[in-house]
Amino acid sequence: MESFELLRYVTIGQYLPGDSVVHRLDPRTKISVFLFLTLAVTFTRSYTGGAILLAVTLALALLAHTPMRYVFSGLKPAMPFIVLLLVLQLLFYSNAYTPYGMASRTLFQWGWIHITNGSVQLVVVSTMRFVELLFLTSLLTNTTTMTDLTHGIEAMLRPFSRIGLPAHELSLVATIALRFLPLLGEQLEIIMKAQASRGARIAPRGRLQFVTTAQQVAVLIVPLFIDAFRRAEDLILAMQARCYVGGRGRTSYVRLRFARMDTVAYAAGLLFSAGMLVFRNQFPL
Amino acid sequence: MSDSATLPIIAVKDLHYIYDPQSAAPIQALQGIGLDVYPGEYLVILGHNGSGKSTLARHLNALLTPTQGEVRVKGLDTRMPGNTLSIRRAVGMVFQVPDNQIVASVVEEDVAFGPENLGVPEAELHERVDWALGVVGMLDYRRREPQRLSAGQKQRVAIAGVMAMKPEVLVLDEATSMLDPEGQHDVLAAVRTLNGNGVTVVAITHFMHEAIEGSRVLVMEAGRIVMEGSPREVFSRVEELRSLQLDVPQTTELSSLLNQRDPAFPRDLLTVDEVANEVQAQVGALSFRRKGEATLTPAPAHCTRDRTTVSLGGEGDAILTPTLPHHARVGDAFIELNELHHTYLRGTPLEVTALHGVSLEVHRGEVVGIIGRTGSGKSTVVQHLNGLIRPRHAGQVCVGGQDLSDPAVDIRSLRQKVGLVFQYPEQQLFERLVGDDIAFGPKKLGMARPERRERVRWAMEMVGLDFEGFRDRYTFSLSGGEMRKVAVAGVLALRPEVLVLDESTSGLDPRSRKDLLGRLAAMHREQGLTLVFVSPSMEDVATLVDRIYVMDQGRVVMSGTAREVFSQAGRLRELGLGVPQVTEVAQELMARGIRVQRIPLTVAEGAEELWRALSS
Repeated sequence: MESFELLRYVTIGQYLPGDSVVHRLDPRTKISVFLFLTLAVTFTRSYTGGAILLAVTLALALLAHTPMRYVFSGLKPAMPFIVLLLVLQLLFYSNAYTPYGMASRTLFQWGWIHITNGSVQLVVVSTMRFVELLFLTSLLTNTTTMTDLTHGIEAMLRPFSRIGLPAHELSLVATIALRFLPLLGEQLEIIMKAQASRGARIAPRGRLQFVTTAQQVAVLIVPLFIDAFRRAEDLILAMQARCYVGGRGRTSYVRLRFARMDTVAYAAGLLFSAGMLVFRNQFPL
Repeated sequence: MSDSATLPIIAVKDLHYIYDPQSAAPIQALQGIGLDVYPGEYLVILGHNGSGKSTLARHLNALLTPTQGEVRVKGLDTRMPGNTLSIRRAVGMVFQVPDNQIVASVVEEDVAFGPENLGVPEAELHERVDWALGVVGMLDYRRREPQRLSAGQKQRVAIAGVMAMKPEVLVLDEATSMLDPEGQHDVLAAVRTLNGNGVTVVAITHFMHEAIEGSRVLVMEAGRIVMEGSPREVFSRVEELRSLQLDVPQTTELSSLLNQRDPAFPRDLLTVDEVANEVQAQVGALSFRRKGEATLTPAPAHCTRDRTTVSLGGEGDAILTPTLPHHARVGDAFIELNELHHTYLRGTPLEVTALHGVSLEVHRGEVVGIIGRTGSGKSTVVQHLNGLIRPRHAGQVCVGGQDLSDPAVDIRSLRQKVGLVFQYPEQQLFERLVGDDIAFGPKKLGMARPERRERVRWAMEMVGLDFEGFRDRYTFSLSGGEMRKVAVAGVLALRPEVLVLDESTSGLDPRSRKDLLGRLAAMHREQGLTLVFVSPSMEDVATLVDRIYVMDQGRVVMSGTAREVFSQAGRLRELGLGVPQVTEVAQELMARGIRVQRIPLTVAEGAEELWRALSS
């Protein structure tokens, strides 16, 4: 059955209003802790480390009232690829991967199929890592509006503007992209519906497979680009009319505030992640 | 020398402007405009698309600079680059498309964008944002995302964004043309407040009821100013306006028709109240003169209302369950919606219920209107009609005897039967040549070339585009009105039995709108095409529609003939919907106890009714 609800399949990056402790943190804190934890997750290869991180990220997700079913529903379209990847790892990394904390041992061998305790560990730990990263990304994006994220990133990049990094321009580009991407998404949905109303075969099979042939692409892309250019022209005029001449001499309406809770969260995130990194080779399994 | 109070704030002298002067076909957009804008005035500029009014507007804040002639703002020449910022600070501008002028994703941050550019210190930024949002009545929405606001609210945010820069002049470039009646009303109220506070307003529009707001009206045609004066002076020149194919406010047209019958009746009345007052005064004078003839005193209003209720059939239940038209037999509906529910993003935290049990029907050969404000669910209904949304949760949609919840329904043949024209359909064109674009649908139906050609020819003739003259034109070089026709022809080429038009005349200027509506009406008359009009206001099609469904918050709240529905003007206004002015006049008179026999839908009917009331 055809479906034009494009938003349905995007769960990562969707802000969900709420009032949890995590929602109220300063975006800079959230971005920093997100980066720290991501590093910790990336460099952990032990069962124990993976389990600890899984428990911690799950706890944080619960703290932020993340709706689990919604988050996992976003995975559905990607599931076949994930499973394929895990199966490939299980089968073909048997000799290349030395297990953490154990002597390499063959668990199963039948013809060319060769599974070692190393490849099993790899698959289990990558699965945990995947879920942990999913929790972390949802944690950040489900609790922070895109605008706050942009402000956070701009504030964090500002010190680098002295060495020529265009922090203001980058953040304006991000702001405008955030403002107009949903509009273009809506426009794409209308165009798809309009062309389908004229007999175009759009979105007949599969969720992410909207178009199959070059002409079908043109039917959607040409009007979408014309729309995007028209909006861009309008926006340029509107910004000129509001005296925009670049970042120099601009003041800023938004001021981010670092509260006590932020200090606590920042310190905890930093210490925990550093600990996980420093002791990553000390876990028993 | 005159004193400073009467010095113009903007002075335009012999302004000429040419687009693409180097190209093979330069466009002479302005040809010698002379204009002074005085502090505190409310200047309205009227004209068709292409008359040069937007080009003129863009000269007022140095977005464009003259090819020839001169524009000075507070004495500053717009051609000197050093003056640009001072000029733009003094003259703020709000544009047509609400979405495309909002930069930030939070309302208050967007309002702060202009003052931030001016380097206003932080404490004052907050004061200015508070003040500007307050003036336009959007303080409660300060933390909202612009995307979740209605078009009218977005446009008020855009005005706040300009006002936060504290300009002396506010230029509105067709700022209301994409809004529904409620949005227009709110935006106009905000502008009126600002003008009352001393802000000079220059409003460009093609809505006549907005022009009445002005203290001075200019009419532009082909790059020149052709009429100028107070709204009353300009609108009393009905014939001249008509020859320019501009709309005349229904009230003025009404008073000019009555004036033709009785020269004592003033011909330049502008508002509903003025007409009502005049008629009441004359009726009063008559009944005073004939005092003593008791039978001639005006009938009490409830008589008429009783009659209306009777014609609605079955009292209050007619409001909830749609009544069948008298000429239709039960069960022969071509399209039938039965207790239809729909929820967007069902099963996610973002789900929104758009329809709560909607029932309606469309019979072959009928013209049906669906009205409702933005977000009332009318577009969701429309998308069910050709299977873009399938009934999945609860309720039934039947088209041509087929139940659309059946997965085996041939959706493409359904879409051939029910043609759907979206809002701003020209935005969906994609082929380089007009003929190819119109042929897209027939091609998808698998038609052979000669047959396709006939289809295209027929569809183009139907919308009034010459087949030989237009089929090889470049689609994107056409005017807005022509592109709209191409888009409609693209749907007609499917030869649908029902044509559904979702706000398909909005954004057109009066000339193109009348033309397109006239063609659709002719197709209905001559070819028996069934039409479904969807719109927040029915002023244009009030006379065309047999029946109207009024939607609000995902439900059908009123239904009946146009006359029945419009007779409840108060209710419609509560629902944020527009009522033709002539209907409002009749309503007003009835409220004042003057007998009006039937609710008029057109100016001609209105003149007839008022004349009867006057001469009884």
